[in-house]
Amino acid sequence: MYQSPESKQNNLLYLSRIYRIIVGLLFVGFLSLVWPYISNVVLILVFAFLFTTVLLKSVDSIERRINNRGLSVLIVTVGLLAGIGLFIGSFISEISQQATDFSNRIDQDTLTAEFSKLGAKISATLPEGMATGSGDFSAALSGFIQIVIENLAALAGVIGNFVLNAAMILIFTIILLAEYHHFKKVLVGFFSNKYFEVGLGLIYNIEKSVSSYLRGQFLAAASVAVMSLVGLTILNFTGANLTLTVFIGIIAGLANLIPLVGPFVGMIPAILIAFMNNIGNDVAMAHQLFGVVPSPFYVLDIVVMFIIVQQIEGNLITPTLVGKSVGIHPMMVMISLIIGGTLMGPLGMLFAVPATGILKVIIHEIMFVRRNAHLL
Amino acid sequence: MKNALWNNIFQGWNSQESETVLTLKQVPIFKGFTDKEFQDLEKLFHRRAYDAGEFVFKNRAPGEGMYIIMKGAVKITIGTRENNEQILAELSEGSFFGELALFDDDPRSANAIATVQSDLLGFFTADLMTLNDRNPQMGNKILLNLGGVLGERLRGTNQLLLESQSN
Repeated sequence: MYQSPESKQNNLLYLSRIYRIIVGLLFVGFLSLVWPYISNVVLILVFAFLFTTVLLKSVDSIERRINNRGLSVLIVTVGLLAGIGLFIGSFISEISQQATDFSNRIDQDTLTAEFSKLGAKISATLPEGMATGSGDFSAALSGFIQIVIENLAALAGVIGNFVLNAAMILIFTIILLAEYHHFKKVLVGFFSNKYFEVGLGLIYNIEKSVSSYLRGQFLAAASVAVMSLVGLTILNFTGANLTLTVFIGIIAGLANLIPLVGPFVGMIPAILIAFMNNIGNDVAMAHQLFGVVPSPFYVLDIVVMFIIVQQIEGNLITPTLVGKSVGIHPMMVMISLIIGGTLMGPLGMLFAVPATGILKVIIHEIMFVRRNAHLL
Repeated sequence: MKNALWNNIFQGWNSQESETVLTLKQVPIFKGFTDKEFQDLEKLFHRRAYDAGEFVFKNRAPGEGMYIIMKGAVKITIGTRENNEQILAELSEGSFFGELALFDDDPRSANAIATVQSDLLGFFTADLMTLNDRNPQMGNKILLNLGGVLGERLRGTNQLLLESQSN
């Protein structure tokens, strides 16, 4: 049967597409098979890359002054470790002080009585159908504490693993910071002459997008930390009796890095501290927000304060600082968060948005190459 | 025998300048650079090999930076081989081209084609930005020298224009 050259060409194109799809599917299958073995290394590398992106500007600017890359990396790393060490050290010391004060002030009977009182108060405010079961609030909480103690050994393992991973991330970050520009050059070397300039542009755009997104996010996190600190101080003026305000602020700021879920996570330490500090205090137990809504231990005040902080951050600060650095539609952000969360839990949620941003840049560049293929 | 032994022991002490540095030293854009600066600069350049007849870039393609000819030759053309190819310039070792892409986002205004097997050194906007972050003194030197070269070329073009008008 005669086939015209055009039809032959179309058939070849069709076959080539099928071949590409099969290769793609095989690659995805292979990746899903080896993923359990390489996921940890990939995670470490991704973390190291993100830390490198955040710290690169500082290293470059120190290098500009002292004209020595190695020393610049050392200064930034030591500074970062000292900052983290100082934060964790003082946090542990403050929290242990807090725990000692709490245990000195309260005995088990008082604690159980307070739990029962709080449980009764909650059941009173709940509708009839929902109130059943909450009467045994103290027992449920005691059971929970028991489970936590039983799992301490597992927790030690998790902490050990975390420390090992953190050390690996630190080592990779130092290497990447020292050799970043060299690695980039080596990576560019893999592109063929035809795609060389496009590849260079792609790497440059990804770098710019990720770095501006991360810097914006960290600035937004810092602003949440400062605003939370101010809010908690204002609440203290109204008698909330909150301690560790600096740490609560920093934790709220860090939690804010996880979109959508983070802001709620940031409230938890503040609520726990409010509860610990005010237990046994009848005035705090009977507190009402604006003199109308019952807010035992200032819990509702704290929630409202954090919502106000989130609104200021979300509507005023982030649009100004982050702007359209990634420019992803809110619906896409939610979808990527769900996928990230399903694949890798909270860490996946943390990286979902920058990863989507990178994908967007890559897709944009591929479309650009396809449009301009005749010019390459 | 003795010399070879000592040369092996002290190899690198009197190391010769690399081919890249030797090429860069011929280029007016890097006039006034110290040896140390040339060594730092070398790390930023991308060495690429092109076959005879291979396009370095095409007319109207997006441009990211400039190229310096280390070995071989390149012709700058407009039009295509099939359709009215016009050769604007034939460049040899030590020449550079495409430098306008360092300053603007406009597409390339001509084709660049390797006429023989060539080795080129690429220097791109992203590299210039990096250099400005890490060593602004060097970045400024390059920009000033590039300004000088472009000014010289503009003066040459003006001269040609005057000559063509007077004829």
